[in-house]
Amino acid sequence: MKKITLAKPLLLLFLGSLFLLSCSPAPQSTPVAEPVVITESATSAAASQPDLSGIWQAVNTAHWNVEGHTAKKMPVTGVIGAYGGMLAGTSVVVGGEIPYRADALAAREVNQADWANLDPAAKCYVPGIPRQTYMPAPFQILQTDSEIFIAYEWGSNSRSIFMDRPGTSAPLPSWMGYSLGRWERGTLIVDVTSQMTDTWFDAAGNYHSGSLHVEERYRMIDENHIEYQALITDPEVFTEPWTIRMPLYRRIEEDARLLEYKCIEYAEDLLYDHLRQGYDGSKALDGSEPDDNA
Amino acid sequence: MHKPIRFLTSLLLVAAAHNAVAQVPMKPWGKPSLQGNWDFATITPFQRPAAFSEQEFLSPDEVEEYEAAVQAGRAARATVEFDGEHDQSDLDVGYNTFYLDQGTSMSTTMRTSQLIYPENGRMPDMTNRGRETSGYFRALQSRSPQGPEDRNLYDRCILGFNAGPPMRSGAYNNMMKLVQTEDYIVIQTEMVNDHRVIPTDGGPALPNSMRLWKGDSWGEWEGDTFVVTTTNFTHLSRFSGTGENMVLTERFTRVNEDSLEYQWTVEDTEMFDDKFTSVVELTATDADLFEYACHEANYAMPLMLSGARKQEAQGIEDDTWLPSWSR
Repeated sequence: MKKITLAKPLLLLFLGSLFLLSCSPAPQSTPVAEPVVITESATSAAASQPDLSGIWQAVNTAHWNVEGHTAKKMPVTGVIGAYGGMLAGTSVVVGGEIPYRADALAAREVNQADWANLDPAAKCYVPGIPRQTYMPAPFQILQTDSEIFIAYEWGSNSRSIFMDRPGTSAPLPSWMGYSLGRWERGTLIVDVTSQMTDTWFDAAGNYHSGSLHVEERYRMIDENHIEYQALITDPEVFTEPWTIRMPLYRRIEEDARLLEYKCIEYAEDLLYDHLRQGYDGSKALDGSEPDDNA
Repeated sequence: MHKPIRFLTSLLLVAAAHNAVAQVPMKPWGKPSLQGNWDFATITPFQRPAAFSEQEFLSPDEVEEYEAAVQAGRAARATVEFDGEHDQSDLDVGYNTFYLDQGTSMSTTMRTSQLIYPENGRMPDMTNRGRETSGYFRALQSRSPQGPEDRNLYDRCILGFNAGPPMRSGAYNNMMKLVQTEDYIVIQTEMVNDHRVIPTDGGPALPNSMRLWKGDSWGEWEGDTFVVTTTNFTHLSRFSGTGENMVLTERFTRVNEDSLEYQWTVEDTEMFDDKFTSVVELTATDADLFEYACHEANYAMPLMLSGARKQEAQGIEDDTWLPSWSR
């Protein structure tokens, strides 16, 4: 590699190369022989921050219900027995319960009563933030100066947390929203805006409106643990902001890696069973028989 | 020094200088930076057209002519009236020109095809098994779907038709993001919002019994080129008629600030008589990738299935609902 430091030789070389190109036959796909080095140096601010890189996973049952819940029978226990029950879990909501407005709480109860048909994640729709973080599958953080990329195994979803464009906004809403990150005293703080209204916080019908704002905090407790917090603000649905808090655990296996959980193929029965050739059940979205819901 | 020799020497020096001024961003750990958003749209044909059968490269004038011809063809299709019954030249499968984003220029390789091997720029012949397997899937696509599994992975939003692997310019969403650390490089494609996380240390690979829709990718640097090998595909992954034992080798070489050479080779002796290799140059772009939530908005699947059930109920058998390439 060569480092070019003088302007005059560069100019001469440029003019010379123009001459050569003007005499050349059709250009070939020739690899560059000796490229000039332009080193992308890490900024001092970014370089001094904790390294969140690695494979992480939440180990809890918040994807079923972020509030405390006991074990529960599920529609599939008749097929796969004990594997099909919902595991119990303590609340990951600071203070225990979500501060719903009265009318919004009623809507949550409607969601909960028919969650198997209504839960967007059951249909393999992108779970959004924060739910994607605590879906039951690992995710990988890749940390660079300009962006922190998170690849999630569940659904093969991903997001970019932009570190170099404060004050910008998304051109339109998306399932994963628009994430802007910054460091404060060693904690990665991520503002997530412009999320679709369609996502839920869990399978218990806990939901939000289009006014949702999520402020995530990733703070390394030690080498293998991150304290994860998500401050939820949505005045249309909640009486006050509330916080989800949970540890994230590093997957320390030597061969830890992301695999695929392309959930589409596992949602097709739920979504399309009633449209299959020869289908003779009820026309419920999940293909369940009428007796299942009795 | 004799004048002719001096002139030749000057030319060689200038040629070296031309190469030397190409600017390649480097990562602090000494590898070329591949990071950024890359546009792989190109109108360079995948296979070499018959008109260029003996010609591997185009001159700048020929490139200009070809690009103008493609634009003119598109403009003509865009003005075709849709009569609602037969003429779908601009509305086949529901897209008209407004929704297509296939690029407007040829790859800067200035080649007559993306394929550079076999030397004729054409796909190699299929084996008997390759033809039989392709025939099976073609028949499956041509019939009224009994369930979602009858449709291809693109209709199901499990893979993207241009997202590969390998990536290849298609109708739209010809964008990918590369995120690079010392240990991993991520390829995020806009199409179906998908990614591969590729280790840079070469492995280890998954056991043969574990099959993934996008295969299992591992990479390593060969000098300044990042080489990715992908195996362990499913039997449904099928890139251009390949099977589950395809071995894909992709080579990423940063050419300069604005371009990235992307070369790939497919080896699948079960399905093809020979390997095949493609090369294009990708263009750096400041545009962001959009979240292409394909499955979330897949209205086509329930409509295809409900249409099929309705036709069955009415005793109708026709294929007018299929896109032209599935009939």
